[in-house]
Amino acid sequence: MTIVNTKARKRMREGSFGLYTGFTMILTLIVAGAIVPWLSKYDPNAPGGTPIARPSGAHWFGTDLLGRDVFTRVFDAVFIDLGTAIIGVSIPLVVGTIIGTLLGISRSKRVNSVVGSIIDGINAFPFLIFVIALIAFIGPGIPSIILALSLVNWARYARVARTRAVVVNQQGYVEAARILGFSKVRILFKHIIPNVSSETRAYALSDFIIVIIAVAALSFLGMGTPPPQAEWGAMIRDGTQILALAWWPTIFPGLALCWAGVAVAFVAEGLQRRLRETNSK
Amino acid sequence: MAGVIPTSLSSGKEEDGANRNRAALRRVFYGRSLRSLSVGFWVMVIAFLMIRLSPGDPVRIALGSEATEASVAEMRHKLGLDQSIFYQFYRYFINIFKGDLGYSYFSNRSVTSVVTTHLPVTLMIIALSIFLGILLAIPIALFVALSKNQVTTYLFRAFTSISLALPGFFLAVVGLYFFGIKLRWAPAAGYEPGFPGNLQFIWLPALVNCGSLVPVLSRVLHSSLMDTLDEEFVETGVIRGVSKIRFYWSYLLRPSLAPTVVLLSYMIGVMIGGTVIMETIFSLPGIGRELITAVDSRDYPVVQGIVMIFGLIVVFFSFIGDLLGYLLDRRVTLS
Repeated sequence: MTIVNTKARKRMREGSFGLYTGFTMILTLIVAGAIVPWLSKYDPNAPGGTPIARPSGAHWFGTDLLGRDVFTRVFDAVFIDLGTAIIGVSIPLVVGTIIGTLLGISRSKRVNSVVGSIIDGINAFPFLIFVIALIAFIGPGIPSIILALSLVNWARYARVARTRAVVVNQQGYVEAARILGFSKVRILFKHIIPNVSSETRAYALSDFIIVIIAVAALSFLGMGTPPPQAEWGAMIRDGTQILALAWWPTIFPGLALCWAGVAVAFVAEGLQRRLRETNSK
Repeated sequence: MAGVIPTSLSSGKEEDGANRNRAALRRVFYGRSLRSLSVGFWVMVIAFLMIRLSPGDPVRIALGSEATEASVAEMRHKLGLDQSIFYQFYRYFINIFKGDLGYSYFSNRSVTSVVTTHLPVTLMIIALSIFLGILLAIPIALFVALSKNQVTTYLFRAFTSISLALPGFFLAVVGLYFFGIKLRWAPAAGYEPGFPGNLQFIWLPALVNCGSLVPVLSRVLHSSLMDTLDEEFVETGVIRGVSKIRFYWSYLLRPSLAPTVVLLSYMIGVMIGGTVIMETIFSLPGIGRELITAVDSRDYPVVQGIVMIFGLIVVFFSFIGDLLGYLLDRRVTLS
């Protein structure tokens, strides 16, 4: 018994380690994103200064082709990148969970098979290709990226939610709520959706890693923010053109992106361990 | 059924079992085919509808801003855009089977010719990525599964989740910097058709691309290897003293491969997305670079055609993967 307990506690600690590391990493990034552009004496977007200057005391991350301070730009981009990814995950999470839950509890075979096929059809497309194609049709920019991500990703959440909703719908507490004569809307929002969304929210966290990379990749391909706005993917794209001359305008925004991705990966892994821990208790 | 079972009955039972097996296989095959066909149909519908998302009139984009009303109307008629949407889809659907995916707005090339010229390069990169991915994932998974050390397993889990969180396009740029610019082991751009001459141009993109494959593959393979190691027949293998290679292959890997094969087919979509970016970074003449060019110039028919082809490729490979997984291991449950 004691052995089992220490083992469980040890696993709990491991999960917590990942969680705390991840949260600290994200927090650092957000704090730096808020403070650095405010404290910095350089304008993140206005050209000026020596172009392509090596990292030094004056410019910690060097300067880019237009002489802009890379350090200021990397942290100026934090909110654009994180914000786009957060909205780009939240909208499909909400929409997909609701549609998937409704499908899971609906008794109509026809609705289920038609909407189910549409979901399968959307999910069949390679994620990044589909998003790129949608942006081709709706035009570039951050709002388009969010719209395209939502149009593509809701289907993945809906699939997760539907499978879960079928199970939840047959649980005793839902049955009990029905017998007590609660309204359908109340049962849906108070009893079914909270239990379905625990699953889709867990999925959202791992999806967040994919989305934050996708947002930067789309900007890298020239479909994101218009210049001069600092954004990691766009900065890497600009840096690549002078890669033979200078590595710093490319590497630092890339490292920031890696930092963000790894931070979320730590949090996701830690939460998953915790979830397994509470489930197995 | 007390007493001895007559031999004729038991053999009849076996035959019956084989028949049932074959019937089950047939049922799975038809079921999967039907599902794939219906998903494939929806892929075409979605690709067809996609063009309607654009806020502008595609005909005006195709003709340029100084087109007259008459020429716009004529073009609409030529493309059948003045007909009902159902008739338009019907024509689109029929044309797909004739191999006609429409024409580029700007270059007058048919989309089919764009696809057939550039798709082989892309498929070559994907094939090499998968090959390298398998080549790396099998020894890693075997090593971690066979090592009794807890730290190894922990490090393995940590490294795989970290490497999944690294952006492929950034790794590609870093690779380009070290191998292309610093070490000059790989050309930064250019391409030469034909195998094996093209290998020097695609080894680096494929290597970076398999970076998204190796962590996933080795994780799944590792966990099924752990399951296999618990089976009694592995011990039998050790006791019987079979040769090392035979032990690794027949006793460990083969019984563990089914989930990995299914997963591999599902990873095709991710590989396609990665390859598009690799082609852009390394200037390879694949279909991904055509897609990006078409997106930049708003060449809608080309975008539509390429996306649909990629969708159908994914549907096809999921179908094959499901069937292979079923054949390799009847215990795999397919969602």
